[in-house]
Amino acid sequence: MATEILTLNNVSRTYGKEATQVHALTDVSLSINKGEFVSIVGPSGCGKSTLLNIMGALDQPTRGEVRFDGNSLGEMSRGELTDLRLQKFGFVFQAFNLLPVLTAAENVQFVLQLLGFSRPERQTETKEVLDALGLADVADRPATELSGGQQQRVAIARALVGEPALLFADEPSANLDSTSTRELCELIRQINTERGITIVTATHDPLVKGYTNRSIHLEDGRVVEDKSIP
Amino acid sequence: MKQTVTSRVSLIYTLSVRNLWRQRRRNTILLVSVISAITGVVVLNSLVRGMQLQMVDQVVYNLNGHITLHAPDYRSDPAITRGFLEDSDEFAHKLESVNLAGWATRIKVPAVVMSERETRGVQIIGIDPSQEHISIVSDLRIEGSFLTDSTDNRIVLGRALLTQLRTKIGHRIVVVMQDSNNKSIEVGFQIAGVYDSNSEGMEKHVIFAGKHALQQFLKSESITELSLRFNTRLIPPGILESISQSFPNLEAVDWKNIDPILAFMYESVNAMVYVWLAIVFTALVFGLMNTFITAVLERTHEIGLCKSMGMKSSLVLYQVTTESLIIMFLGLIGGLLLSWGVLQLIGDGIDLSAFAAGVEMLNLAPKIRPAVVWQDVSIVVIATIFLALTASLYPAIRAVRLDPLVALRD
Repeated sequence: MATEILTLNNVSRTYGKEATQVHALTDVSLSINKGEFVSIVGPSGCGKSTLLNIMGALDQPTRGEVRFDGNSLGEMSRGELTDLRLQKFGFVFQAFNLLPVLTAAENVQFVLQLLGFSRPERQTETKEVLDALGLADVADRPATELSGGQQQRVAIARALVGEPALLFADEPSANLDSTSTRELCELIRQINTERGITIVTATHDPLVKGYTNRSIHLEDGRVVEDKSIP
Repeated sequence: MKQTVTSRVSLIYTLSVRNLWRQRRRNTILLVSVISAITGVVVLNSLVRGMQLQMVDQVVYNLNGHITLHAPDYRSDPAITRGFLEDSDEFAHKLESVNLAGWATRIKVPAVVMSERETRGVQIIGIDPSQEHISIVSDLRIEGSFLTDSTDNRIVLGRALLTQLRTKIGHRIVVVMQDSNNKSIEVGFQIAGVYDSNSEGMEKHVIFAGKHALQQFLKSESITELSLRFNTRLIPPGILESISQSFPNLEAVDWKNIDPILAFMYESVNAMVYVWLAIVFTALVFGLMNTFITAVLERTHEIGLCKSMGMKSSLVLYQVTTESLIIMFLGLIGGLLLSWGVLQLIGDGIDLSAFAAGVEMLNLAPKIRPAVVWQDVSIVVIATIFLALTASLYPAIRAVRLDPLVALRD
């Protein structure tokens, strides 16, 4: 039987005040099971990123409840949410978002340093993940000198190195060409199958959607379709 | 736990150094301004302290000593009748535990000096030349000859007084004083020599005679003061009280009581040093704050990214503060080294002889030599650290308050 890792009950998110209020999400209820590779799809402005941010404890719903491993995120303090993001979640952003002052390896080590790993542990873990993602050659290069594809792979390495329970990827292929996108998707699926990490990605790219095993379709902030992909 | 702290400190340090290096032109300008401010404060304070201590030196050196002991009522009526008996063995015994450069016993009484042509009011000082290595007497430039010993019954005048009296070395003058019976006496002295000093006031109003010779004329075995000079430039703490206890029948006064105007100036300089420090550092704090606010605004996105990945607010605060501390630490080291260099260059003193009148009025030596007061340097060090923390606090709080989601959209 599938184990629920993340549950959303009647989650709504509105922005702005009465006259100019925007309903980004309306009564969204869904569950993500351990080991799933889920895509959230839909047209621009349908609420994909908002949903992903709420799932990833970066944003709070205006109404409704989000539970991770049975614990309500709404009852957690800001510090507890920060710890949750650090220890349980990994993030891959649309714009790569590497720290420009660090090298590729240092960007990966960043999470391990926050987690308090010793230097030898950090070096071992970083080398392992960079090797696995084919980034050994660029480990010592500044983040700003990497290609788009390399930067996105470093961002994935950074998200993975802390061994999160859940990995969120927001439009991970948005700045990549089709070849790089295909390589990225293969990589993410490999992570999902080999490491058992649950992955939720917001995307409007059918190519990315094709690699996932479940698709949640949003329109105007509502779930209009939630189906498994064989 | 220790490993976690070490790991995070290492991260904060790396990020801070790299961020500073990223904006190296701006931060170099900031660093130069910090170095300039610290150098300015340290060098100027050293010069002011040098002037301040030289004023004290002058007062102490000008026949006052650091501490002077009198009979209790002498200061209100400086006459030989308000003297006390000299007991050198007792004085030596009581002062043996005190770190003194030396002590001297003197007679100081008012007198009127007359030549064939002029009359002037003066202070006649009976001295033992062998004890006066602690005072200006040993450094006076003498024309003619100085007193040979305390029994020498000749007199030495200042050049300005000699000119006023329109007399010459070798001539005789008459000195009118009150003896121990409160009777006016007139004593004829031969002028042994004439002295030149940096103070025209002293030349006009101070004349020297042998202490024992003067006692004979005044029909007294008393002295009017015991003057003490320490090996240090200032009086060691608590020593005035200790000496007062050792000489219960005498009144011990320090140089501040002897010259209250100078004491006021001395305290004013103390205040001025700290006001100057406060002004410079307040100006600097706004410059620093402005730079760090800009740095935080430029990195809003990165700070949001760090927070979204689980960097705690406290670490964000430490990161901004560490950048400020690094700049200020480098500025402090640079400022202190540059100050040391500048003080080496002007260590021989700045010649103020072009302003002789003002210099004399302020009781200054003609050359101002900087004096490094370590307490002032410590205050600069502490103020720099405090400044670094203060200047970074507001930018750091702004960084802490950034909503990671909003910052990521930036």
